[in-house]
Amino acid sequence: MSENSRMDENDNDKKEVSQEKMFTLKKWNAVAMWSWDVECDTCAICRVQVMDACLRCQAESKKDFYGKQDCVVVWGECNHSFHYCCMSLWVKQNNRCPLCQQEWSIQRMGK
Amino acid sequence: MSRQRKQEDNGPFKRSVDTPSSQHSKRRRLFETDENMSDNSVDPNRRPNFSNVGYVQVGNGFSRNLNTVQLKPTAAKKIVIKNLKSEPKLPEDYRYQTWEKLSSAVLAIQQSKSNQYSLEELYQAVENMCNHKMAHTLYTELYSLTETHICLNIEQFLAESMDRFLFLKKMNETWQNHCDQMIMIRSIFLYLDRTYVLQNPNISSIWDMGLELFRKYIVLNTLVQTRVVEGLLMLIEKERHGDKVDRTLLKSLLRMLTDLQIYDSAFEQKFLQSTERLYASEGQRLMQEFEVPAYLTHVYKRIQEENERVIHYLDTSTKYQLIHTVEKQLLSEHVTNILQKGLDSLLEENRIDDLTLLYQLFSRVKNGLVELCSAFNAFIKKRGRTIVIDPEKDKTMVQELLDFKDTMDNIVQTCFNRNEKFGNSLKEAFEHFINQRTNKPAELIAKFVDSKLRAGNKEATEEELERLLDKIMVLFRFIHGKDVFEAFYKKDLAKRLLVGKSASVDSEKSMLSKLKQECGGGFTSKLEGMFKDMELSKDINVAFKQHLNNAQDLIPLDMTVNILTMGYWPTYMAMDVNLPEEMVKFQDIFKEFYLSKHSGRKLQWQPTLGHCVLRAQFKAGLKELVVSLFQTLVILLFNKYDELSFDYIKAATNIEDGELRRTLQSLACGKARVLLKIPKGREVEDNDKFRFNNEFINKLYRIKINQIQMKETSEEQKATEERVFQDRQYQIDAAIVRIMKMRKTLSHNLLISELYNQLKFPVKPADLKKRIESLIDRDYMERDKDNPNQYNYVA
Ligand SMILES: [Zn+2]
Ligand SMILES: [Zn+2]
Ligand SMILES: [Zn+2]
Repeated sequence: MSENSRMDENDNDKKEVSQEKMFTLKKWNAVAMWSWDVECDTCAICRVQVMDACLRCQAESKKDFYGKQDCVVVWGECNHSFHYCCMSLWVKQNNRCPLCQQEWSIQRMGK
Repeated sequence: MSRQRKQEDNGPFKRSVDTPSSQHSKRRRLFETDENMSDNSVDPNRRPNFSNVGYVQVGNGFSRNLNTVQLKPTAAKKIVIKNLKSEPKLPEDYRYQTWEKLSSAVLAIQQSKSNQYSLEELYQAVENMCNHKMAHTLYTELYSLTETHICLNIEQFLAESMDRFLFLKKMNETWQNHCDQMIMIRSIFLYLDRTYVLQNPNISSIWDMGLELFRKYIVLNTLVQTRVVEGLLMLIEKERHGDKVDRTLLKSLLRMLTDLQIYDSAFEQKFLQSTERLYASEGQRLMQEFEVPAYLTHVYKRIQEENERVIHYLDTSTKYQLIHTVEKQLLSEHVTNILQKGLDSLLEENRIDDLTLLYQLFSRVKNGLVELCSAFNAFIKKRGRTIVIDPEKDKTMVQELLDFKDTMDNIVQTCFNRNEKFGNSLKEAFEHFINQRTNKPAELIAKFVDSKLRAGNKEATEEELERLLDKIMVLFRFIHGKDVFEAFYKKDLAKRLLVGKSASVDSEKSMLSKLKQECGGGFTSKLEGMFKDMELSKDINVAFKQHLNNAQDLIPLDMTVNILTMGYWPTYMAMDVNLPEEMVKFQDIFKEFYLSKHSGRKLQWQPTLGHCVLRAQFKAGLKELVVSLFQTLVILLFNKYDELSFDYIKAATNIEDGELRRTLQSLACGKARVLLKIPKGREVEDNDKFRFNNEFINKLYRIKINQIQMKETSEEQKATEERVFQDRQYQIDAAIVRIMKMRKTLSHNLLISELYNQLKFPVKPADLKKRIESLIDRDYMERDKDNPNQYNYVA
């Protein structure tokens, strides 16, 4: 295990250790930020960032704000993405992607 | 002779209660009440001293006699019955002899000599004369006898020069004698009063006749009247200057003027004029000489004194005008001056008693409180501005604001009688000055809250903290840019949550719910999201631990990950650093694990926020180091090498230059030096070398090495503000859609005014217009076809 945490470097600016290694990593609390894996941050329909709830959902200003989970992102086969809320309204009038005009079909949904 | 007005309430006859049967006395009382009403004049306040009869009687020798005589009203009925039978003949000279008897008695009374006839006998004589139709003659004779006597008295008051005080004494004596004499005369002629006088409405009662004559011959004399009034005014002036004067004399003479019905015309007017003159000049003079508190105390004293004057000798009818005159001359005339000269320092020095007095006095005069309130408001604005406007004082701004608010609140509560207008004015003033400096107060309030919610702060109990948070919320309420507060609050909250530095979860939740209550759920939704992320992360970590059990070839590292939702949290600088191979491995396993559960997401690692626990073996023993991820990366390099150059460390870790220098500083120049810097020195230079410090000693086993925080640059602050402004666009959009969805159709003006009610930050109408246009473009709403000033919601 001590072998594992050594760095293999060769440089003049260093002096090799004679003894066994002194430092062992015991705990690590890492931090990561998640976001939707989208090409464009903003939903082209409501022009709100996809990480935020769509404009209509924001306007609802639900008491239970965790309702935001409902306002997920949807990807089309064209790989363009929008708020699911925005897109479901959009396709009622026009079943094409607002960005590339391809026929709209869902590739995947955010979760 | 001391007279007490209290006696007035008791009828003159009520004192003679030594009657045998209660039935008798009851009947008598009924009779008396009736008699009193007709006997004494209509106005109860102006009732002459006549009422003192009873009192006098107690003092002199024939009171008992008189009492029995006074029971005669019942006897009067008997007479009526007698009359029905037969009328006895009188001797020829009866009238002459009887009058001789009566007039000698009257003269004796007037000259204070003893009287040879008994009262009973004299009373009987009057009764007989009356019953023999001689009442009119009797009255006329008595009138001229009284007139003659009173006329004799005038001479002594007309002497060329006379000491004013002696004059008053003499006048009082004459008046008192007149009253005493008239009381005695009346008791002899009581029967006349009750029959003849009652039957002839134009004839004055004996008592009134005495008063009229006294008035006509004595006090209506111009010279006498002037001397009396001037003498009285002189005495009062002396008393106002602090001398002791004979209040009994004053009271008696003023009472005389009232009884003679010349109090108003002869005295009151002049008295009020001299009062006004005195206090007009005194007010002018003392406003110059005195500081405001001393002046106010003086005014208070003056008002007290004048009130006492009313109690002791002035007629009560003078009270209102007198006090009003004093207030006008000492206060009303100087309202602006007093406030300009003294209010600020009273407030500044928190002079509770003086301010209370000021309020009480000003509440007496017209507009006094209005002026006080607006000066109070101006003071708060001026003083408050100095607290918020100076960047030098930023460190203490919030505490000063809290203290200032406490002090002003206390003044409204204690000194200003909890007056609601003052309370509202206080709020208005705070809201005004606190927004004189844009954004900064909001930022500092957020930071202040952080310092209180952070672990290790000094507010001992949760209750204390709770109270403090409530007070901070009051300040928060005044802030116009509430979203600026939120942005800075969020930054600190993130630190508390991620470093586990929060003092208490309950306090955090409590603060959050206060903000929610104040600004609504929309305002706190992202802050709440941060708490939710922390909870979700716990669940993920439990699942991840189980997941790791299945993995092989891994070092025994306890890895946990906090997954933050982008958008809820502040944005952090993205940084790519080189991690040791094992750490990369763990990272990859986690990422794969996480994304398998959440499709459509991506993860961005935040190395600036990571932290670790290291086991460290020094010569002196084993230690645990609590360090940041950057510190960890640097330290781990020394497992292989004893000494490394700055350049090498930089290349090996890929940590950003400034960040790395601070990291090395914390490890080699701080309190716990696990590394040694060569050469020694505070700053980390390019050519420095670093060595593992094997000699490291510390009495603790677990040692936290604080990362040196970069000072928040003004650029960073600007970036935070910038983000706030960007966010405002979304918030405006959401608010417009929310309102339009509810109203369906709305005029432009109504929409704008609703928006102003909902938005938690200042915004220009032009900006709102732009957002409306944008929403029309995006088909959320449309202009009404017939009315361009009206919008319709598009579903
Ligand atoms: Zn959308
Ligand atoms: Zn939505
Ligand atoms: Zn597309």
